[in-house]
Amino acid sequence: MAARGHVQDPNDRRLRPIYDYLDNGNNKMAIQQADKLLKKHKDLHCAKVLKAIGLQRTGKQDEAFTLAQEVAVLEPTDDNSLQALTILYREMHRPELVTKLYEAAVRKVPTSEEYHSHLFMAYARVGEYKKMQQAGMALYKIVPKNPYYFWSVMSLVMQSISAQDEKLSQTMFLPLAERMVEKMVKEEKIEAEAEVQLYFMILERLGKYVEALEVVQGPLGEKLTSELQSRENKCMMMYRRLERWAECNALSCKLLLKNPDDWQFYLLYFDSLFHLIDQSWTPPQEGAHSAEGEVHASTAQALSFMEDRIATEEAKESKHLRGPYLARLELIRRLRERSCPEAQQLGEPLELMFQFFVKFGDKPCCITDLKIFLDLLTPDQHVQFINRLMEAVPLCAPGEDGVALPGDTRALQRHLCVTQLSRSLGQQHALNTEGKLGLIKELKAHYQHGLQFGKSCLKTELQFSDMYCLMAAHVYVDLWLETGESNMLWQCLGLLEEGLSNSSSNAQFKLLLLLLYCRLGAFEPVVDLYSSLDAKHVQHDTIGYLLTRYAESLGQFAAASQSCNFSLRFFHSNQKDTSEYIIQAYKYGAFEKIPEFIGFRNRLNHSLHFAQVRTERMLLDLFLEADISSPLEESVKSMSLCPEEDDIPWDSLRDNRDLTVLVSWDPKDRQLNEEHRQRSLEEDTLWLRLRSLTLRLIGCVSALSHPPASRNSEKTTENGVAAKPSSLQSLLSQLENTLNQATQFSEKQLQVRTVTDRLALSSGCCQCQLSSLQLPLHLQELEATGLGSLLHTSLYMLEKCKGDLLEVKDSHSMTQHFLLENLVYFVETVCIVLWVSNYCGSVLRPLKSSLQKKKKKKKEARNVDQSFSSLQSLLNQALEHIKSQELSLTALELGALSLEAEATFTKTAMDKVQSSYLRSLQEIGELLKKRADTLKSLKI
Amino acid sequence: KLTVMTTLRAFTCDDLFKFNNINLDPLTETYGIPFYLQYLAHWPEYFIVAEAPGGELMGYIMGKAEGSVAREEWHGHVTALSVAPEFRRLGLAAKLMEMLEEISERKGGFFVDLFVRVSNQVAVNMYKQLGYSVYRTVIEYYSASNGEPDEDAYDMRKALSRDTEKKSIIPLPHPVRPEDIE
Repeated sequence: MAARGHVQDPNDRRLRPIYDYLDNGNNKMAIQQADKLLKKHKDLHCAKVLKAIGLQRTGKQDEAFTLAQEVAVLEPTDDNSLQALTILYREMHRPELVTKLYEAAVRKVPTSEEYHSHLFMAYARVGEYKKMQQAGMALYKIVPKNPYYFWSVMSLVMQSISAQDEKLSQTMFLPLAERMVEKMVKEEKIEAEAEVQLYFMILERLGKYVEALEVVQGPLGEKLTSELQSRENKCMMMYRRLERWAECNALSCKLLLKNPDDWQFYLLYFDSLFHLIDQSWTPPQEGAHSAEGEVHASTAQALSFMEDRIATEEAKESKHLRGPYLARLELIRRLRERSCPEAQQLGEPLELMFQFFVKFGDKPCCITDLKIFLDLLTPDQHVQFINRLMEAVPLCAPGEDGVALPGDTRALQRHLCVTQLSRSLGQQHALNTEGKLGLIKELKAHYQHGLQFGKSCLKTELQFSDMYCLMAAHVYVDLWLETGESNMLWQCLGLLEEGLSNSSSNAQFKLLLLLLYCRLGAFEPVVDLYSSLDAKHVQHDTIGYLLTRYAESLGQFAAASQSCNFSLRFFHSNQKDTSEYIIQAYKYGAFEKIPEFIGFRNRLNHSLHFAQVRTERMLLDLFLEADISSPLEESVKSMSLCPEEDDIPWDSLRDNRDLTVLVSWDPKDRQLNEEHRQRSLEEDTLWLRLRSLTLRLIGCVSALSHPPASRNSEKTTENGVAAKPSSLQSLLSQLENTLNQATQFSEKQLQVRTVTDRLALSSGCCQCQLSSLQLPLHLQELEATGLGSLLHTSLYMLEKCKGDLLEVKDSHSMTQHFLLENLVYFVETVCIVLWVSNYCGSVLRPLKSSLQKKKKKKKEARNVDQSFSSLQSLLNQALEHIKSQELSLTALELGALSLEAEATFTKTAMDKVQSSYLRSLQEIGELLKKRADTLKSLKI
Repeated sequence: KLTVMTTLRAFTCDDLFKFNNINLDPLTETYGIPFYLQYLAHWPEYFIVAEAPGGELMGYIMGKAEGSVAREEWHGHVTALSVAPEFRRLGLAAKLMEMLEEISERKGGFFVDLFVRVSNQVAVNMYKQLGYSVYRTVIEYYSASNGEPDEDAYDMRKALSRDTEKKSIIPLPHPVRPEDIE
């Protein structure tokens, strides 16, 4: 834990056992030991703080805080107390209190370098940039060390970055920072590389590119040595900003001669070349072309430069570089875009790509390389191109099944590449059903045959022929989407299960399986698949959506809880973690990383997925627990849900999902593009809005029956009562609007078919949840008749859940997995109806017993009575339906299916789906049963 | 001698959102955010990523400089090196290692070292080809999670030009325990 000073102080000896207990997690003993010590030494403040840490860690936050404040008001200046308080405040997530602590300490000991430095870091943790600037200077005055001075300069840069007013940033903060550095430059006090980096960063932000360039090229630039090519890269950046295309061109030329494989410099070379051509640039009469040497400013020069690069490669015996060959294709593309006839001089793309394939076709990345140049081919060249490549693949004579197979892994890789290119050109999609089935057969043959090459592979390695298996699965999915035949999907799942059994580390198999099982409504197998991916930390944000999107809506509540927790734990640790490293970046002078880290922290805090799991987790807790294990208002209270507060940053939500994690060789027009991404984000945001409003409305209902007392004192007294009907009304109209938007959105989507559509909209659940949440409003006017019509809708919804999830027809097994999702939303709706009914009951109950009340009110009370009975029978109906589904699922003998001998893996997949449905039904049934039990106690 | 064809640049935080194709490999560890941030804050020049022309991340190397100069133990260390399956067999790992060695040379390191699972023959052989040799075996360096036994590591080293006599790479006669390494 804390550093305990170098000199052995008797107090250190006394405190040591408490430190040890805390370090070992023995908080109780730490508290006891501290108490013992405090009896003898009343003034040993640090013991109090250590006790407070023990209390904090045993969940006694209030006590811990009070105790800590007792010490803090004394404004301690001993290391032990200060460090212990810092740890405590950090654990309490109150970093601002650390600043107060050290402000007091430096007041008392104004010459302490250590305390000033702690104060600076404390400000850094909470982002108090102005105070950091001052603290940095104060430090520098006490101890004139360069880093302190530059901490202060960087704090000015941070003020400029965080300033709302761009003008203020450009005319005040940055110029001030610049002057501070200039002063050091003039006094020749610049020491470290970091200081030059910071100077460059300031000039760049000021738009002073000429000055920035001078710094890099001048004597200060000589300090830029850590990063490779640091000076060249920075010069290049400035040339581009300054549009000094001649220098840009000459420098990329130089760098390409040094490394003819660095793609970024080809792009810069071409960019600058065409700018120069457009400007009709001519070299100066005498002297060098540019500060960076020779410039190419004509197509002819570029052509000859490219030909030289290629000739150099051709002259080599082996180990050819790919860069020059691909750059030639890139140049053709650019010349064609400008309708330059010279494009032809470089050769015919088909021929060039063929040559590339001959050289590099046995590399797995050949497909990635060529894919981006396929649009250089005309559609009528496609067949010719593929045939041409196929001729260059050495295959053995066809066997009995008519499939010619490769003799080694290089030939296999080549053949695979042609197949991938063929798919990318849309040739596979153009096949009819029969053609596709034939293709699958061929791919399977290649897959099986290729397994022999990987017999000695470790289980952490992939099989050489895995990609054939994956592609066959893709063709199955194509067929399934086209024909709707579930048999295609079963075959696909079987094939992938088989692939996984041969290659247990293949993440692509797992990801596709995971997605397809989810599409089938079977979440159970997904849990194992996801955990075998060993996704951790940031991956809970980038691919966690694969899990959290489906778990709850498929009725696997326990798994849903767990997967939300994984993600939430990651997001919650982010805030604390990043602050620590912002401070480290100051210490090590990695100034350019500071804004980067802050941007990263925001990206995670504003993550769409974070908002989703936060909302879903709370809803789930309410659906599972509220009014079952504890009353609704208790649950709402424990999650500190405040209906007035919208904690989702709607305008700055970040979509961090990795939507390209699944490999695809689809042709361009079928690939995921920016529009799809945008649409999916829009859809998910709408859905999140619905869910978050529903959640807040549930909070309102709870607050209606139990207006919060003064517990959350400040908040409630300031804003008035927590959930006045007015906030209920406003949330309701927001929900109604969002629902309309969502309905319109999904109608529009029907024409384009989406990946992530949610059934709750079409099944009417959302509408029903809305109308039930409207009830409390009507009840204000004692109109409980709404409950009756609500029950009617619920009954209709239940009808939509009825049907067989899995059945066997004509020796094919069919699923109606959407019934499962409908059932889950039905149960959610039942929960809401019950909470609202509970509230209605609590309002009407007193009326019933009072005989003096008007007749109408009594009638309403009677209506509610009737409604409760109908509700009871609705739940019973639902429970019966679930029971019967469970029975028929259990009785279903999938073994009776006349599956072919090789289809054992398909059978495995079916068994997994069957078992998953059963489990979902059980979890849904259990929840519904619990709800039915609470209803009994609800009756008036 | 290499066929990399790529853009090599400094790794940034945003790359953490894009590196799944590299990190879903079973031998590549995805660390907690603090771990990456620590390297980015302290040794940003040692964290390099390779990007393909289509924008896909191909692989990355993450390293640091540490050790006492006085005891001639100042050296570059390879913490992580990984290449996505589709970008293997291009010499990318070798290129990234070469860059790390170059940075370590500039910092005046005596050698570069790395730890590798004894079972990871592919990697061990690659490092041998790049001039690394086994300096010592570290017993049970990798702890297993799923009930399997812990695994030993090779500590492999390559001398840099500052170590003219190549003293730093003379193999130790006996294996060491994780708590004995610095």
